[in-house]
Amino acid sequence: MADRTFHGTGATPRSGLGTVVWYDPEVTLPDPEDVTVDGDTESEQFAAAVETARAELEAERAATADRVGEDEAAVFDAHIQFLEDPTIEDAVETGIADGLPAANAVDDAFGEHIEQFEGMDGRMAERADDLRDVRDRLLRVLTDGERVNLGQVPEGSVVLAERLTPSDTAQLDPDTVAGFATVTGGRTSHAAIFAGSLALPAVVGVGDALDDVAEGTEVVVDGDDGTLLVGPDEDEREAAAADTGVAVVDEAVETTDGHHVEVAANVGRPEELSAAADRGADGVGLFRTEFLFLDRESPPSEDEQYEAVCEALDTFSDGRVVVRTLDIGGDKRIPYLDLPEEENPFLGERGIRRSLDPDSDLFATQLRALMRAAADGAGELNVMFPLVATVEELEAALDAVDSAAADLDDRGVAYETPSLGVMIETPSAVFVADELAARVDFLSIGTNDLTQYVMAADRENERVGDLHDPVHPGVLRAIRHTVERAHAEDAWVGMCGEMAGDPDLTELLVGLGLDELSMSAVTTPEVKTEVSQTEYSTASERADRARHAATRSAAQSTIRDT
Amino acid sequence: MSVERTVTIVPEAGLHARPAAAFVEAVNDYEAEVTAGQPGDDLVQAGSMIAVTSLGVGEGDELRLVADGPDAEAVLDELEDILTTPEEELSA
Repeated sequence: MADRTFHGTGATPRSGLGTVVWYDPEVTLPDPEDVTVDGDTESEQFAAAVETARAELEAERAATADRVGEDEAAVFDAHIQFLEDPTIEDAVETGIADGLPAANAVDDAFGEHIEQFEGMDGRMAERADDLRDVRDRLLRVLTDGERVNLGQVPEGSVVLAERLTPSDTAQLDPDTVAGFATVTGGRTSHAAIFAGSLALPAVVGVGDALDDVAEGTEVVVDGDDGTLLVGPDEDEREAAAADTGVAVVDEAVETTDGHHVEVAANVGRPEELSAAADRGADGVGLFRTEFLFLDRESPPSEDEQYEAVCEALDTFSDGRVVVRTLDIGGDKRIPYLDLPEEENPFLGERGIRRSLDPDSDLFATQLRALMRAAADGAGELNVMFPLVATVEELEAALDAVDSAAADLDDRGVAYETPSLGVMIETPSAVFVADELAARVDFLSIGTNDLTQYVMAADRENERVGDLHDPVHPGVLRAIRHTVERAHAEDAWVGMCGEMAGDPDLTELLVGLGLDELSMSAVTTPEVKTEVSQTEYSTASERADRARHAATRSAAQSTIRDT
Repeated sequence: MSVERTVTIVPEAGLHARPAAAFVEAVNDYEAEVTAGQPGDDLVQAGSMIAVTSLGVGEGDELRLVADGPDAEAVLDELEDILTTPEEELSA
């Protein structure tokens, strides 16, 4: 056991072992009472600091464009404009004229605007972060920058920080840093997304307790469990050191006895597409469309959705992209859609239930965008409907596809009807899998929701966490039932829950007959490697034993240690 | 002699981030004083990223631009171009 364990949110299912380097961009301002200020000198220092900061921003912009992507780099263009803002310059000069040292004048000049932006909503509030980032950079240059240069931390460092901004992460070299942990931030924070796209071990949102971890301490960052282990024991050190990741496999994979399994990536934002391709994914097994609808005041247009889907299809020009139609409700809220307050949102109006009724216009727009993209994008588009419980719902969704086709005919726009599928997440869908499969081309099992509903165990409730495990025989039998009924109807079956991305379960899933496994891009190399080391005939026998087991522990004991 | 123009914003990010950076950079490239604001509101200094960002102008909103100086027409032409180009086509 480690001396102490801190809990946060894991950003990548990877572990790293290293030595703590604290990163603290805060600087101490001089006390204006204590210093004699020469206005001209301070003005010159300010001008020189702006110059230096600008050169840094340009260098970091280039490094980010190169390492991560042009979209991520664009934030630096905004920072350069904030840096050179005439309002700031005037306010700093006024401050200096009033007798302040340049650093204090800069702090005051930015402070007022940071407060102003902090008081605004959503997108505007994020600008406060940009201003803070620019201010801290200027102050560091002015006070002679004693902060750690993140680009030059020793190999094997684990960086700990209050938070990491785009300017900070731009300097991190993923080849030398062993991982990082931050006090603030959630799964969608800039730092978490950055870690995910580079497969860097990271835990965010640890809270103020992180301050107790001393510089130079040996720690394990476990992005899988979302923990930071201080003073890890021998086993924990070895496990983390062994998790160096496996080589990316770009080719399609099959088992040792020639059974092909597609290994695809789950994608929730456009910037994850290139990362998925870089990690060797064959295609996209779950393209979530909610990002198009979040952080804005009104729904996206048909053209905007069309462009986003075309981008995905062009990234995987030889592969398949499975798009899930809008899946809101439950825990996913969108302000302008006026979602009802429900006693049990997970058992309420969500997924296809909303798309068929209150949101039928949104659904029609989305279907038209998808069908146009199917004709124009390079890859093969597949579309699936979330949270289907009944054949009636599926038939209504298929009718909506026909209406969208008729609308596009009327408009004389080019379109194609994509291959269609159903997500299997409800017990009802499992029981009528044969009826559903007879009406579509494929089924895709969403194991997070399927486990929650089969086991009647809230996935967010830790008190029933033991029940929320897809290795319970009840869940394994539901999966196998779905596969058998679908194959009998010549439909293929994929899986896009977290279970699909666990390399320890790959043999079991191949044995249960899944044709496709789709996961967070980080683990695609591990899963591809597992598939190519699996013997299909042996895997099928083991999987039969697992699902016929009476208990979870008996099922677990059939799973080969990897 | 000042010239003015009203433009409807095309980039989906509105006048934020990348489009805003391009907008402010263009203003400062020309010999002209430019102010901007939503029709009916006060105008702010268009060469200030902070001022432009705090206008909170979104996709589909109208923006009134007023320019004064030797490059007044030229700067308005370029600004109109930036404000009517979808973000993904905007070169950085």
